[in-house]
Order: sequence, then structure tokens, then C-alpha cells
Amino acid sequence: MNNSRSAESRPVRIHGNRRLFLYYWNRTKQNKLAIAGLGFILFLILLALIGPFFTADPTHVDFAERNVPPLGFSTEESIYDIKTNAFTVNLIEGTWKHPLGTDGKGRDMLAMLISGARISLEVGLLATLIAICIGALIGVLSAYLGGWWDNVLMRFTDIMMTFPFFLLLVLIIFMFGPSLTLIVLVIGLTGWTGAARLIRSEALSLRTREFITAARALGASDARIVIRHLIPNVASLIIVMATLSIPGVILAESALSFIGLGDPSQTSWGIILNDGQKSLDTAWWVAVEPGIMLFFTVLAFNFLGDGLRDAFDPRSNLDAR
Amino acid sequence: MRKSWLQGYILKRLLYAVIIAWGIVTITFILIRIGPNSPADKYLANIAARGQDVAQVTAAIESRYGLDKPIIVQYGDYLMHLAQGDLGWSFSTSMPVIDLIGKHWIYSFQLIFLSSLLAAIIGILLGMYSAVKQYSKIDYIISTFSFAGISIPNFWLGVMLILLFSVKLGWFKVFYDTTLPLLSLENLKALVLPVFTLGTGMVAGYVRYTRSAMLDNLRKAFVTTARAKGLPERTVIGKHVFRNAMLPLVTIIMFDLGSIVFGGAYLTEIIFGIPGLGQISFNAVFANDYPVVIAITLIGTFLALLVNLITDIAYTYFDPRIRYE
Repeated sequence: MNNSRSAESRPVRIHGNRRLFLYYWNRTKQNKLAIAGLGFILFLILLALIGPFFTADPTHVDFAERNVPPLGFSTEESIYDIKTNAFTVNLIEGTWKHPLGTDGKGRDMLAMLISGARISLEVGLLATLIAICIGALIGVLSAYLGGWWDNVLMRFTDIMMTFPFFLLLVLIIFMFGPSLTLIVLVIGLTGWTGAARLIRSEALSLRTREFITAARALGASDARIVIRHLIPNVASLIIVMATLSIPGVILAESALSFIGLGDPSQTSWGIILNDGQKSLDTAWWVAVEPGIMLFFTVLAFNFLGDGLRDAFDPRSNLDAR
Repeated sequence: MRKSWLQGYILKRLLYAVIIAWGIVTITFILIRIGPNSPADKYLANIAARGQDVAQVTAAIESRYGLDKPIIVQYGDYLMHLAQGDLGWSFSTSMPVIDLIGKHWIYSFQLIFLSSLLAAIIGILLGMYSAVKQYSKIDYIISTFSFAGISIPNFWLGVMLILLFSVKLGWFKVFYDTTLPLLSLENLKALVLPVFTLGTGMVAGYVRYTRSAMLDNLRKAFVTTARAKGLPERTVIGKHVFRNAMLPLVTIIMFDLGSIVFGGAYLTEIIFGIPGLGQISFNAVFANDYPVVIAITLIGTFLALLVNLITDIAYTYFDPRIRYE
């Protein structure tokens, strides 16, 4: 990071950053739910990274082992025999081979859920990164340039903000065809409006502060003021914003996949849920499991984001609790 | 004096709304043009699927859509048609898009109206209670449930409700009968699960907003003053704290209506087979019925714009402190 910094100032800066980091970490640590959220997110990342090495291929179809319930559950499957014109009822029990069961095509649920975790995290993090970068750029530029530029950028933000997000997403995927890259790009390119507004208003109030005036009086260029003074001061805001917007992104991708507009080549939670919805009466777990994962993932990011917001907010008095 | 700046402000807001509407229409037009499938392609695919002669139809469509004209003329035509309320022709249902929407909007309206109304009432009441009894057991329970409520994917909640109440228990049927009158007992019963699905996230959100807005105001000096002069607690909370907390709340509720609720209603209608605009758009996506998908996106967007505009203007009436130059 920050290779351009001169050698003399480096030790002091890093020291200052570490102290600040420890300060915020200690404040965040007090919120048990935030730590639980962080723990779940780290677990999910680990699962997505090393899980695929230990589980079966999530796309492997095996009709001999279809509709196997999760471990500890059992279902009855009635098979109609055309020759004898009779029903035979099979009792299927959960096995260790498929601890979370299999779907109607005999695909292993555990492997599919791990693949879904990877996709959800990828989509959530990448799209949010794009959105936050655009939002920060537009917000800071709008506040810093002011006047005519501010007006144009903010009207454009208004236009983008007015589009009901999901309808726009459906329209674009409908026109350009479903692919995961496109979904990430579209969410990233449309989801920046909230960040832009928030960062603009924060940057506007910062712009008139003494330390900015002092920096300008010392002859700092516009670019330097923006990069070294404005952006670090809105960084905490950006981190909170990003954490709290990840769940929305993950849900948007799942919702699209759920209604059949997702990338059919990827096993995402939404796509599993779409299959599961059709087989509620034969294999309820196919619909239940991805939803539980989705719920806890979203909850974890919400908990963490809330905790971070309290930790970064100097007005919230955590020690008093 | 107040009247004159207010009129100026409303005029300015209206002008902005027109600019935003123009921007939305233009962005949609650009999207249609840069899309890999033009409306004609989708139409032709449809014609070919029905076994009709493609070459014969091509020319007719090109002149129908004005695709043989220069792009700027097409853009002008597009704006003109929209201004006249001509949203095109839906070939999957063989009727003008505007008639199709006229037939189905009421189902969406019914779902969104009922869910929003119930969610706002329940959410605000629970949020107020939670704030007044801060750090009590009930506050913790309400807060926990509201956290769960904003995190639960509403489409999954819908599927789970169907699994529990329709598949396992058989209490509710999961399809909507359009032949019965709108407000018949059967159809109202079919709305219970959808309203619950759409409303849960909203209730949770409103509880959180109300609670934090109430808490913000409870700490203010005027509340101490009100208590000091001996007002009963009911009046302090109901008149002084709640009224001040309501203002930001109304903006949030109205903004949610445009940005989040439309998406939620779209999914809810698909899950429960309610024949509203979301369902129409969804069917149109899979029938390649271009004009319908675009028309419903535009209508959703314009409604959101209108709601924001009304909220902004109403705000200046309700809060006399607000002044815009």
C-alpha cells in the first residue's frame, strides 16, 4: 500500500494507523453480535476457498441417489411399477455420504451450497467494490468541484436513484442475457447512488474545516487534498457503507437467480432455491438449506456493519454501556 | 412571504422531476439500442416460432418501429409515443400494453397497499414501544426480530410459508382466482401469505427507523422541558417526541416504497401467482415480449419519481422549519 509515500514519514504513519486500527478494533470487539457476524463471514470465506477440495463436484448428477434427505431425516418415496400396477414405498434415510442430502437430480447439497457461498461472496464483494469506488469518486468530485459539476452529478445520481433497482436489473438482464459477470457489473454500476450522496455530504462538511484550509495554505494541490485528507477522513464511512450494502447485493443476485434470470452455468444459492421451490412436496430441504445460508450470511453482514458503524461513530459512547 | 418561496420551490421540483423523467426515458432508449437483441429481433423470433414468414414480416416491423429512420428521428418518435401514452403492442397477449397494464395494475396495487399500510402501522407502533422501553426485555426481543426481519430474503420467506401452510398444513391455497371478484373472501384469503411475505421486511425496517428516530428525539432538551412543565408522559411521547420523529420516517417510508417495495412485490407476485404487474413483466421476459418489460420498468420508475416528488413537497408543508432557496 501507498508506495509513493516518502521513506521518512513511513514509520510514523504506520504506527498511527496501527494505533487507530487497534482503537477501532477494541470498540468493535465490544459488540458481540458484530464479532459473531465477522466470525461467520470468515468461516464462509474459508468454506468457499477450501471446501471444494473436500466435497464432490456440485454439478455431478446421480439419479440413483436422488432426493436423499439430510442426515437424521428420512422420507418416503413411492415408486409406481408399470408391470404390476402397484406402488412400492421406499424409505430413504440420510447418509454420511451426503450429510445435507441430495436434490432431485442426485447432486450433493453440501457441495452445491459451498459453490453457492463462493458465488455469493464473489458477487457481494466485487459489485460492492465497484459501487463504492464509483460512489466515492462521484461524491468527492461533486463536493470538491461544486457549482455546475455538483449540480449535473447530483441530478444524474437522482436519476439513477429513482430507478427501482430490481426492475432495472431485470430489464438489463432480459436485454443482455444472464451471465454472472454482467450481474456483478450491473449491480456495481447502478448501486453507487447511496454511497455517492453520503460521501458528498460528508466531504462537503469536511471541505470547510480548518485542516483543509491549512493544507491549502501550505500549498497542497487539489489532488493531494482529496487523496490525503478528504478520502482518509471519509474512509470509515465508506467501510460501513460497503459492509451494509453487501447483503443487498447478495440478495439481488439470489433473487434474480431464484426467478430464473441468473447465470444457469453457476450453482448459486438462488438457483438451488429455484429448483427447490418446484420440489417442495418431495424434497423440502432443497429449498430450506440455501435459504438458511442466505439468511445467516445477510444477518452476519448486517451485524458486522452495525457494529462497525457504532465503533466508528465518535458520538456513540460504547464505554458507558 | 412563505407562499411565494414555496411556489418557487414546487416549480423547481416539478422541473427537476421532468428532467429526471427525461433522463430515465433516454437511458432506457439507449439501453434498448445498445442491447444485442433489438425489439425487432425478439419480435421476429416470436414470428418464426409461430411458423410465419420472417422475411415478409421484417419490412413491416421495420417501418412499424421506425427502424429504417435515422436514430435521432427514432428517439423523437419514442418520446412522442410515450408522451401520448402509447406504450406499444404486447404480442404475447395480443393487446396494447396500456390495456394489459390497465387490466392488471389493481392486483399489484392491492398487494402493495395492504402490505405497506399494515407494515407501517405495526412497525411504527412496535418501534415506538421499543424506544420508550429501551433496554427492556421486550425491546431486546423486538430488536432481535427486526434484525432477523431485515435479513430474511423475502422470496425465501414466501417459499417457506408455502411449504409450511400450504404443502404441510394445507391451510391456504396458493393460487389466485381472477374469475372471482377482487374483494371476495377467497381472494382475500389468498392474499394473507403474500402480504405477510412482503410486509415482514418492511415491518422490520420501520421498527428500526422508528426506534432510532424516537431515541434521537427522546434525548433532546425540549422533551425535558415538556416533562418539567408537568405534561403527562403520554402527551410527551405522543405529541412532542413522535411528531418530530415522524418527519424523517415519512421520507424513508416513501423512498422505500419506490426503491425496495416494488422489487419485493415483483418477487412476491411471482411466488404466489398473483396476476399483478410483476407477474406480467415476468411472463413477458420469458415470452420475449419486449414492450411489456420496458413499459413496466418505466411505470415503476415514474411511480417512484412521483412518490418522491409528493413526499418532498408534503415535507415543506409539515415541517415549517424547512426552507430551500
